[in-house]
Amino acid sequence: MPLNVSNLYSGYGRVRIVQDVTMSVGEGEILAVIGRNGVGKTTLMKTLVGLLGTLHGTIEFRDQDISRMHASRRARLGIGYVPQGRGLFTRLSVGDNLVMGERVGGIGATNRRRVFQFFPILEERLSQKAGSLSGGEQQQLAFGRILAGHPELILLDEPSEGIQPNIVQEIGRIIQRLRHEEGLTVVIVEQNLELIHAVADRCIVMDKGKIIAELTADEIKEPEVAKRYLAIAT
Amino acid sequence: MEEFALIFGYIYQYLDNIGFLILAASGLIIIFGMMGVINMAHGELMMIGAYITAFTYYAGVPAPIAILLAGVGAGIAGIILERLVIRFFYKQLLSSLVVTWGLSLMFSQGFLLIFGPSILNIPTPFGNFPIDEQTFGIYRLVLFGISMAMIAGVWAVFTFTRFGTHARATMEDPEMADALGVNTRHVYALTFGLGSALGGIAGGMFALTATISPFFGINYTPLAFITVVVGGGANVITGLLASVLALAGSQTLVNNLVNVYVGYLGMMGTALIILLVLPRGISEYLERRKIRTERASGRE
Repeated sequence: MPLNVSNLYSGYGRVRIVQDVTMSVGEGEILAVIGRNGVGKTTLMKTLVGLLGTLHGTIEFRDQDISRMHASRRARLGIGYVPQGRGLFTRLSVGDNLVMGERVGGIGATNRRRVFQFFPILEERLSQKAGSLSGGEQQQLAFGRILAGHPELILLDEPSEGIQPNIVQEIGRIIQRLRHEEGLTVVIVEQNLELIHAVADRCIVMDKGKIIAELTADEIKEPEVAKRYLAIAT
Repeated sequence: MEEFALIFGYIYQYLDNIGFLILAASGLIIIFGMMGVINMAHGELMMIGAYITAFTYYAGVPAPIAILLAGVGAGIAGIILERLVIRFFYKQLLSSLVVTWGLSLMFSQGFLLIFGPSILNIPTPFGNFPIDEQTFGIYRLVLFGISMAMIAGVWAVFTFTRFGTHARATMEDPEMADALGVNTRHVYALTFGLGSALGGIAGGMFALTATISPFFGINYTPLAFITVVVGGGANVITGLLASVLALAGSQTLVNNLVNVYVGYLGMMGTALIILLVLPRGISEYLERRKIRTERASGRE
């Protein structure tokens, strides 16, 4: 099992945002984490990556306890993270952003050929500053940067945010390709139901920092379920 | 011949001022740009470099090697300082300023207690050359040449090495750099060490032209500080170059039109005007402009 989380509590200072979360993600699985704004989805992702400390509970990656491990060491174990807002180094060139991804997985060499197979536009923009790319290109670079390393588990935080609908579909296809061609395991936080339908094998629903339901991909397609858990009228 | 000597004199002064500001500010701007720390103890790291140069020189070490040893010594001192004190004050401009000012006082007073008010000076090498009725020191031109080599070296390190890429990324978003597997603690320590080493080398170079005392650094810190603030932290190389060219230019011009003291006022006035127009420094403006231009060309 790539990721096992047990009774996890985390937050900011003494304020507990994520509370008693227990979840696991299987090999090659795409797990969606859904819920309304402010329920702790991003806090959960940051805790899994190591950018927020674990207050209580355990996080295991490939049977290794990483609960107290520094974020940079978790990344070198193979946990790739694409944060909300993409987290690009906007003043660095596209090429330098790819260099920054090469330590993910701990091999330390840039796998540019694979990146350009997935995202050919990045090869054309290699010397351009990341901040000058369009929103869609920036999202491709955020994915490409992770692929430049050797990730085994990818954590995606709202990859469709601020992206045109046609590019959201493309992101869905890319996530599927990452699973099928690279065998990657994916945890995706998302509010875009279309994208969740397209990619997720399973969904967990969060509310007030806790997991309140677990749904199959088919269940989330039901309008009543979506309305109940995301407060979205479909 | 007289006109040639006059024009050469202006150019010589301009190059001298450029060399002085680059040497004094290059280490400081790296630390400020990369770590958001205004290191008021930078002058004292230069002072440590000057003392190491003097002691090793009088122990029989050739001056160029003594200056390199000064860089190594100041670099090690910088890494120790970073690990023990500075790391708790990243991106806290005011706190870091107060803490490093305290460190600078400790260093200067400590050296005063241990080594006394001054030590034996090192003679300036290479001598002078005459043009018409004026004489010019060769070592000043050497300082200018070394300052250019130093800035080229820093540019190469930050542009072409993995450490440089990691350092620039860490400067922009340390949390994301961590999440991508970069040990930002090492990056910070090495960057601070590099900035300190450059300060030590600069101190060693200036030790051949100035009185070496515990308050050696005070001659350089204010001007280096102004250069750094005018340059801004968005891009250390373009910021430093643009700032130095503007400040040294105004200083040289006013210096020749009026006198040395008013020359310094001219430099301060230029700094004031630049900061009124570009409060975050020249490099911030240049970087934004570059991104806008690239964005526009990407849409075509």
